[in-house]
Amino acid sequence: MAADIRPKRPFRWHIAIFLAPAVLVYTAIMILPLAGTLQLSLFRNIDQHQVFVGLGNFRTLFGDPNWSVNFWNALRNNVWFFIIHMLVQNPIGVLLAALLSSPKLRFSAFYRTAIFVPTILSFVIVGFAWKLILSPLWGVAPHLLDFVGLKSLFTPWLGKEQYALTALSLVSVWQFIGIPMMLIYAALLSIPDEVIEAAECDGITGMSQFWKIKLPLILPSIGIISILTFVGNFNAFDLIYTAQGALAGPNYSTDILGTFLYRAFFGFQLQVGDPNMGATIATIMFLIILGGVCVYLFLIQTRLRRYQF
Amino acid sequence: MGSLKIENVKKAFGPVEVLKGIDLEVTDGEFVVFVGPSGCGKSTLLRVIAGLEDSTSGRVLIDGEDVSVTPPAKRGIAMVFQTYALYPHLTVKNNMGLGLKQAGTPAAEIDRRIGIASSMLSLEPYLERRPAELSGGQRQRVAIGRAVVREPKLFLFDEPLSNLDAALRVNTRLEIAQLHRRLKATMIYVTHDQVEAMTLADKIVVLNAGKIEQIGGPMELYNSPANEFVAGFIGSPKMNFIDGARLGETAKTIGVRPEHLTVDPKSGAWKGTVVHAEHLGADTNLYLDCEKAGLITVRIFGVYDAEPGATLYATPDPAKTYRFGADGKVLK
Ligand SMILES: Nc1ncnc2c1ncn2[C@@H]1O[C@H](COP(=O)(O)OP(=O)(O)O)[C@@H](O)[C@H]1O
Ligand SMILES: [Mg+2]
Repeated sequence: MAADIRPKRPFRWHIAIFLAPAVLVYTAIMILPLAGTLQLSLFRNIDQHQVFVGLGNFRTLFGDPNWSVNFWNALRNNVWFFIIHMLVQNPIGVLLAALLSSPKLRFSAFYRTAIFVPTILSFVIVGFAWKLILSPLWGVAPHLLDFVGLKSLFTPWLGKEQYALTALSLVSVWQFIGIPMMLIYAALLSIPDEVIEAAECDGITGMSQFWKIKLPLILPSIGIISILTFVGNFNAFDLIYTAQGALAGPNYSTDILGTFLYRAFFGFQLQVGDPNMGATIATIMFLIILGGVCVYLFLIQTRLRRYQF
Repeated sequence: MGSLKIENVKKAFGPVEVLKGIDLEVTDGEFVVFVGPSGCGKSTLLRVIAGLEDSTSGRVLIDGEDVSVTPPAKRGIAMVFQTYALYPHLTVKNNMGLGLKQAGTPAAEIDRRIGIASSMLSLEPYLERRPAELSGGQRQRVAIGRAVVREPKLFLFDEPLSNLDAALRVNTRLEIAQLHRRLKATMIYVTHDQVEAMTLADKIVVLNAGKIEQIGGPMELYNSPANEFVAGFIGSPKMNFIDGARLGETAKTIGVRPEHLTVDPKSGAWKGTVVHAEHLGADTNLYLDCEKAGLITVRIFGVYDAEPGATLYATPDPAKTYRFGADGKVLK
């Protein structure tokens, strides 16, 4: 009975008013462009008119050899780009964090800073610097290899189709390794000293301490890093563009979705820009990333436990 | 099996000397409690024994063997921490078994020991739970169980009850006492709470500012404290200390425990006014402001009616009055 006579609570307008600025800004800079892109991908420019073609652009992208060859190439390259990051950047980042968190290490603040600095450098600088380093003409890499008697190993890595993408992936790893390192380092610091000391008393030391105690406790952070890497890699563009140009040479061997999208949208050299096809590629990229994030959120993150200490 | 000898152990953190030369012997099967105020170096001493901290100088011997440079796992010790320090990602069972598994103990033996420890600590219903799904008292029992399954020569407890509420503290204290009786193992227990020390210990080591003030059984410390610090630390409420000069005594300080004073409304040694009365049922604590002795505490067994402002005479029991010299040492 008491519930019936309770006065109805008036609508709380202030909530809507306080939310409005954030909603408006987010809509203006995120939702509208996204909706615009999705809309653009459903139209085609025929005789100066935008004509609705349904999924026609997607059919072209996947079916027309003029597009599909490049698309599948870019997607394959992008997957490889991601695999290199997952196999090289993240394990090394975890390793560096484990080393840095060792209380016996001296100068750890210096190492931490030194490893993190490339992350705050501009892509333009990184791409250009590595181009110079690896240049067979004036680069320091051949000389340095000569120093240690390994000059025979040198090849113009950025210029060879079979190496260029891997070389650039490793440059990107070099640049961004500080991020997984810092995140894991913070996660390792949050493990209480007593837990580690209990492990010491239990005889769980060294590597087995890392595998059995520390790693399970930092798994949630490793999950976060993986998804950040995934999103970053499938949105990547700048490094390839500054190091290899929009044609992502040699012979498109370093072409990833970002550079492919750039050429399609804006056009490059002989290729005429086609905003509709560009939007189509952007939509596919959006769906790939959305899919990856959903897999992470619904399949992986729910299985990773966060622990309170 | 389980004796400990500490010879002139010193520990400094940078310029700060935390342990200033500790000598101690613990025989097999003893329950020894380190007690002292916060920051006096109890945990540091325990950690030096465990091997979690290296001493600056001095030796630690377990069963006659110098373990000063032996890593913790090889010393045959097991430690229970104030914060439990359980492995949060493992079940109760695996928390207890991990160390044994690491040492290559056969699975059947691990199960046997976990079985014994968990029945001893009534942990059987919780073996498959994770620490987050347990209460504080259960977690601390798991931590104790993790120590028990290692069958160590030496159990080390660092304030294991401080994070528990008062009722649980009494229960867990009882369990630790029973555990000691059952295992007959050597245990070293750190606490800042003199009640825990008195109730658990065979032998109490009173520490103050990195030095041992006195070693002895609970009653020995209560009845014949070596100095003013021990006399004030052991016993609750605290011993009354009265300036000797005010009483016309030669000793610097006169000490008398609240329970060794009697009161009378008519006559007695020290005339005073009741400042406050605490009625606890089993006993009554009176705070008296005396003309000669200053503010003193009197503990009376049973119920005693006294209103603040009333005049009472307090009389100390001369056989149980302590006299301390200028250096704080007891005068014979
Ligand atoms: N790792 C450390 N570095 C510097 N000082 C420490 C360290 N550990 C303990 N101390 C100092 O040593 C003193 C004794 O500490 P501790 O043994 O923990 O005291 P407690 O008797 O309360 O357990 C304290 O003053 C503390 O500040
Ligand atoms: Mg302590």
